[in-house]
Amino acid sequence: MVWQKEEKITYSVFLDKHKQILVFFSLLFIVLSFRLSYIQIMQGNYYRAISEEQRMYNTHEKAPRGIIYAADGTMFVENTFTYVALFYPFEEEKVPSKKIIDELSDILGRDISAAVNKNMEYGRVVKLADNLSLEEMFKIQEKKLKLKGVAVSKDPKRVYNFSESSSHITGYTGEIRADELKSKSQEGYKLGDYIGRGGIEEAYDKYLQGTDGGWQLEINAKGYQTKAFQYIPTQIGNSVYITINPQLQQIAHAALKNSPTGKGAAVVIDVKSGAILAMVSAPDFDANLVGTEEFNVYLKDKKLPLFNRTMQALYAPGSIFKIITVAAALEVLSLDPNWTVYCDGKFELGDRVYSCWNKQGHGRVDLKKAVAQSCNVYMYNLALKLGIKNLDEFADKFHLGQITGIDLPNEKKGFVPTPEWKKAKVKMSWLQGDTVIFAIGQGALWVTPLQMASMMSAVANKGTFYTPFIVSEVMTPERQLLYKHTVETDDSIIMKDETWDILQDALFESVESGTSQRSKLRSIKVAGKTGTAQNPQGDDHAWFVSYAPFDDPEIALAVIVENGGGGGAIAVPVGRAIYEAYFDLPPQALPVYSHTPQTEQKANAKNKQAAKKPDNKRKPN
Amino acid sequence: MQEKNFIYRLALNIDWFLMLSLAVILTIGFLSIYSATYSQSGLKYVTVQGLALGIGFVLMLVLASFNYQHYEQMDRIVYVLSLLLLISVLILGMTVRGTKGWFNFGFASFQPVEIAKIMYILVLSAFLNKNAKDAKKFKFLVYAFLLLIGHLFLIMLQPDFSSTLSYFPVTLILLYIIGVEPFYLLCILIFGALSVGIPLISTFLKLQYNLERGSNIIVYIYSFITSGYAWLYCIAAVIIFILALWWILLKLRMRVPIIYPILLCACIILGCAASVPVEKSLKEYQRKRLVVFLNPKIDPRGSGYNIIQSKIAIGSGKIIGKGYQKGTQTQLGFLPEQHTDFIFSVIGEEGGWLVSQLTLLFYFLLIWRAMVIAKDSRDSYGSLVSIGIATMFSFYAFINIGMVMGMMPVTGMPLLLLSYGGSSMVSSMCAIGILSSVYMRRHTYYKTSVDMM
Repeated sequence: MVWQKEEKITYSVFLDKHKQILVFFSLLFIVLSFRLSYIQIMQGNYYRAISEEQRMYNTHEKAPRGIIYAADGTMFVENTFTYVALFYPFEEEKVPSKKIIDELSDILGRDISAAVNKNMEYGRVVKLADNLSLEEMFKIQEKKLKLKGVAVSKDPKRVYNFSESSSHITGYTGEIRADELKSKSQEGYKLGDYIGRGGIEEAYDKYLQGTDGGWQLEINAKGYQTKAFQYIPTQIGNSVYITINPQLQQIAHAALKNSPTGKGAAVVIDVKSGAILAMVSAPDFDANLVGTEEFNVYLKDKKLPLFNRTMQALYAPGSIFKIITVAAALEVLSLDPNWTVYCDGKFELGDRVYSCWNKQGHGRVDLKKAVAQSCNVYMYNLALKLGIKNLDEFADKFHLGQITGIDLPNEKKGFVPTPEWKKAKVKMSWLQGDTVIFAIGQGALWVTPLQMASMMSAVANKGTFYTPFIVSEVMTPERQLLYKHTVETDDSIIMKDETWDILQDALFESVESGTSQRSKLRSIKVAGKTGTAQNPQGDDHAWFVSYAPFDDPEIALAVIVENGGGGGAIAVPVGRAIYEAYFDLPPQALPVYSHTPQTEQKANAKNKQAAKKPDNKRKPN
Repeated sequence: MQEKNFIYRLALNIDWFLMLSLAVILTIGFLSIYSATYSQSGLKYVTVQGLALGIGFVLMLVLASFNYQHYEQMDRIVYVLSLLLLISVLILGMTVRGTKGWFNFGFASFQPVEIAKIMYILVLSAFLNKNAKDAKKFKFLVYAFLLLIGHLFLIMLQPDFSSTLSYFPVTLILLYIIGVEPFYLLCILIFGALSVGIPLISTFLKLQYNLERGSNIIVYIYSFITSGYAWLYCIAAVIIFILALWWILLKLRMRVPIIYPILLCACIILGCAASVPVEKSLKEYQRKRLVVFLNPKIDPRGSGYNIIQSKIAIGSGKIIGKGYQKGTQTQLGFLPEQHTDFIFSVIGEEGGWLVSQLTLLFYFLLIWRAMVIAKDSRDSYGSLVSIGIATMFSFYAFINIGMVMGMMPVTGMPLLLLSYGGSSMVSSMCAIGILSSVYMRRHTYYKTSVDMM
């Protein structure tokens, strides 16, 4: 009993309510205590991470990518610096205002708002414009007072020294896209990084990437720097050494570009290792222009300059395939090379007539002459003797329909049709007519120029395939070896020596007296084969595959000139130019030969129709 | 002799538990204010706060020695004095951030509303205690609310919304203690909740709707409520439900007077009606501020920013804290209002879970002592005053600490005894002085106490 004036009962009623209120207050504090424990213990790590993130700030300095050296030691790809305008958030403005963007657009004379909006991130450094010239940089510096928060800094930029001839093999770099980031963030890529796109830049991106640097700073809520922890210097990426011979590359490019259509591809391979000495695709593009307005021209161009024709375009091999047909015949049928066929210009099979490119016919031809003159009738006879199974097997042996395994991305593997495929695809069985045109490299047979060059180098090696490669080694900037190419061989074509000798002699004969005569050099013996690839979209493509010197092969090449018509007239001179450059020979005037390219082309055009007919006729069945 | 006698009696009778918790809280408060302000403004804030504490301490001793029972006799004078304080600040006061609530003395300023809160507790307790026998009458409630409205009206003229908040829990709890029918208090609560809650919830739904605009339960609720007269049907349904419930209870032979359901319904309707003027009187930013704690993301750059940063500060302290003066949120200025309303976040960040829980513990100890004093008081007036003060401390603490942890609206209520602020420090010390006064006289009997003091 404490209250002195009141009744006892009143006090006990008060005590009850007092207790309730005390419990109520206790509950309030228990709630606070639980909430505190939840935030600090259960969510502590989460909030600690946020608090660290918002106080730490790293200024970002992009590292230059590694340098790419050509085989002769010249810098194939190097770096320079451009200036970029960056916006640093400050107290009043956490994102660049419209006023700043407009002002900067005014100075630069181009609208930057779209690019800025793409990069906009609250309270972070925003890239306003890149690729600024020195002049533009000074203009921005002059108006610094108006452009509050804008600073100009250096950014490395790629320089492609042989961009005209080699942009397809170097590839280029571009800012990582959001969709790529998802799959690549685990590999350490982050927003704003530049990654290689296509060619060596893409294939060897891991080596070429430098280590970005910058200051690690502490900032306060207003965005001002309060402390600098450390500076991490940028580190240039690793040096990549490639096998390309820049001189050969440029000459091959010029020869292709100066060919009548200016479209096509050429590949030169070192037959003793598989090293790519030149790899040219025309029309070309300039990798230095990536990211600028001018680059859009390439994107819109119907000639597809961005397309690397050496390994991404598929062509019918045409008469080049006769090499395989002959090899199969020699090996499987033990064909006597002196066995002859009389070519009267056409070949009858059932109710179909398949013609030779030479309407007059080649007369009586043996194997050597058949290859040298590219006689179709001889091949038709061989085809019927061999059958599709043997031909398919030999196409496979010569690595058709398989990627060569070159160390560049997006290689196409081509296609070799089989009876099973035809059945599944068009619900029709394989006919002898299909076999016949298969033997001369037409039909649904697709190859890349790189495959042809690789095949040619295997022919020169008598069956040994070397996996083609473009990067020989990768070294750190301190010249420590990181990667060295190991020569990979594949002896998949095991044939009698005799077969090789006959085949090589026939190819030599083709240059000496046959369709490839225009590549005949005064001091170097060359072996080769022309081809005409039928092209349903337009004029036929001209092929030339070759290797030299004949006795001790050093290089093999494959040239295709799109829509060039007959191989002999159009593609062979390109090959010749390459040989002249490689063997350091003075150019000589081309001799004039009996047959003109027109005749071969026209004949083949007819042949194409003939080859198509059987299918058309039987379709109703 | 007299002086020595006073100190002797003070030391003998004062509540040392209360003093211990007060000392701990003040120490934590000063250390936190120092940590939060030193790097920016040096010793300025700590000095001012120390000065206020000095004045408060002297006032505490004076009020502790003054017999609290005189307040009961002088209740009219105290009430008139408090009204005069509030009126004079409206005339002579200085305007800070849109609120005319400060007396400016040049070297210092004072917020009279802080002391008026304490005076209100004294006056209300006196009125309730004197008329306790009429507690069941309606007239009693009306008078009590007239006392409240006198203060609220003058404070709203400043206007100072957050200072009025502590009046409601104090009034309701004291009315409950004195024996007002709890049902009436429930009705008042419902009325208040509806009149303030409806504008706030509609604001929140609107903001959330603007934020999401996706398929979300909130979007459905919002579009349902804003379509036509749906809200009218809702009210009608609730009223019909109440009446039906009453009828069923009647059928079950449970006699509930008809006045109960009618009062309840009237409160609901009046509450909804009152929400319209409340909505009009609250400015957009105020409404935003009050609901943003439900989801800080609806306004992350504005009112939500404070809550987000405060939660980051507290949470990032984890168990042992980042260390004194090492809190990055505090020292780098991410935490807003860190020395005033968000002082608890500083404690949470730098001291971690251990020191924050310790602070809570000692704060609760202080309130528990106030409740013990209420129980031990020699008369019911002392009990009422003590409970009023305990309620004030509890609600300030709950709303403030709840706010910094993102579970209460951002109201701008300081954490008494911890937050920087001279007026609230002085008035809090006065409240402690009054508590001590009640405690020191717990054993004094009326017969012998006639000529005391």
